[in-house]
Amino acid sequence: MRISLLTALLLLAATGVPAHDFWIEPSTFRPTPGTTVAASLRVGVDFAGDPVPRSTQLFETFVARDAKGTKDVVGFEGRDPAGYVRVENPGVTIVGYRSKANPLELPAEKFEQYLRDEGLESIIAWRASHGQSKTPGHELFFRFAKSIIGAGTAPNTNFGYRFELIPESDTQFRVLHEGKPIANILVIALHRDDPTARFRARSDRNGRVKLPLAKNGVWLVKAVHMVPAPAGTNADWESLWASVTFER
Amino acid sequence: MGKRHVRALIVVALFANIAHAHEIGTTQVNALFLRNHTYRIDIITSPRALLTKLEAAAGVPRSPGDLPIGVMEQRLNNLKPLLVRSIDASFADGHAPLAVGRSPSAVDTNSGQRPTANGQRINGQRNCELEVHDFAVTIHLTGDIPRNARTFAWRYKLTYSTYSLALQNEGDPNVARQWLDADQQSTPFPLSHEVIPPTRMEVIRQYLALGFTHILPRGLDHILFVVGLCLLTRKMKQILAQVTAFTIAHSITLGLTIYGLVSLSPRIVEPLIALSIVYIAVENLTATEMKPWRVALVFGFGLLHGMGFAGVLRDLGLPRSEFLTALVSFNLGVEGGQLSVIALTFVALAPKWRDHVTKPASALIAATGLFWTIQRLL
Repeated sequence: MRISLLTALLLLAATGVPAHDFWIEPSTFRPTPGTTVAASLRVGVDFAGDPVPRSTQLFETFVARDAKGTKDVVGFEGRDPAGYVRVENPGVTIVGYRSKANPLELPAEKFEQYLRDEGLESIIAWRASHGQSKTPGHELFFRFAKSIIGAGTAPNTNFGYRFELIPESDTQFRVLHEGKPIANILVIALHRDDPTARFRARSDRNGRVKLPLAKNGVWLVKAVHMVPAPAGTNADWESLWASVTFER
Repeated sequence: MGKRHVRALIVVALFANIAHAHEIGTTQVNALFLRNHTYRIDIITSPRALLTKLEAAAGVPRSPGDLPIGVMEQRLNNLKPLLVRSIDASFADGHAPLAVGRSPSAVDTNSGQRPTANGQRINGQRNCELEVHDFAVTIHLTGDIPRNARTFAWRYKLTYSTYSLALQNEGDPNVARQWLDADQQSTPFPLSHEVIPPTRMEVIRQYLALGFTHILPRGLDHILFVVGLCLLTRKMKQILAQVTAFTIAHSITLGLTIYGLVSLSPRIVEPLIALSIVYIAVENLTATEMKPWRVALVFGFGLLHGMGFAGVLRDLGLPRSEFLTALVSFNLGVEGGQLSVIALTFVALAPKWRDHVTKPASALIAATGLFWTIQRLL
């Protein structure tokens, strides 16, 4: 935990990130029971994103969970916002989106830049040691996005995703890979009103990371993990993108 | 089902064909290259997302989510210079040496020439207008297709998702569609011969011919007027004086009208042109010799005919890149047509026949002119 705190950094430089974040942007984080919340999907950088219309070809699951249970997020195919959630009960509702595999090919320069930006130094080192630093990156990317709506009693925040950020408090998160805590994952937090000022910290051996998110407002917390792609997938890597949006 | 929904469904249906891409967003870009040698590019995108991205790029505080549309429009327009800098709409001549292995960086298209993967950048002036609605903003980009352009390439830096770029030459039913991943550069799109501005020589040739054929054989009213000028006198000096006055006068009003400095409705000009024919013919019938003031009158009539020529030329259209060349060529073509009519009149009316021909011919011309006058007034 101490290491995580020590490595928490405030980075003020804006970067031209070639790989893009993916997050859920609800129409409100503080709905009253009975309200329908529009759950928009966004792809972009610095909390500035393009709307992603609903596409059943893109996702495996798109659900909303509250203390009483889990249900599918409904919506019109091909339209933005991608889904609607009727908040029926007081307390917290969590919207979760798990994508299918999506292939992406990036030129070597862009791929290396993205690995640097997302703290994937081990992959940079592997590519360098195998003479692949100058070869394009072929990957399958997966999105695991969650959004925490409302306040009060919370349901189980673990959705069982392959790679997942579990909020344990407003300032503490746990990173799980295949259901197990994973160490040394770079977790980045950005505030919607000041997105270039980022908090960065790496997970400890229990997968925990603490971020000093004192400012009120909307936050995006995100992390990327990369593993070798299985044989026969036509890709070298699988990148796993986890994100959580919430308002504190 | 609305147009947007159909488009969105098409986007989703086509997704299976796109490999190696980000998620498909809602942005669409349509580029049309027109026969008048201009282009029109429409970027249709989410106004809210556009404003957020521009504010992020500008490093200014984010606007709240519930912005009234008027305020949104104003803020988007304030950030328009940044938007324009994010758009790289470039033309290339396709002849310059290849710059291998390097894609050009996205810059303002007006910032001079630089090599691209398929030739020298040759960009024209560009205009950018925003049309803001609640759920969609259309960014209209218009400009001239540069002379010597052969291909067009596109890059839009303010997208993070995959979007479709549709490219079309006017008159070609085929639409070339490219899927671009975020700020990816498009592959070069070949421009059709029709939309590429003609060279100066092509313009000269084309407008000389247009001017000439506007008189001979198409301009019977102008033919009769010029024939009428030749019928009264046998003296070459007097004919030349009239023709010169007529030419100078119609050149003046042709230029002034085309440049919009004078304007008179065709409803007034056309009957007056017909009436000028009547006058010349009637004077041929009544006068025995040419009075000096006839030259002044012919000059006045020339001013009217020039406005008529301008109307025709405006209907034909003038290439913006070679405006003056086309105007001068058309006028020279008209002169050529007139001189041919005079030459033919001379050949047809040998001196010994002239006395027998002048009166009946002038009567016929006067009758025709009178008929046109009435016809054009109705």
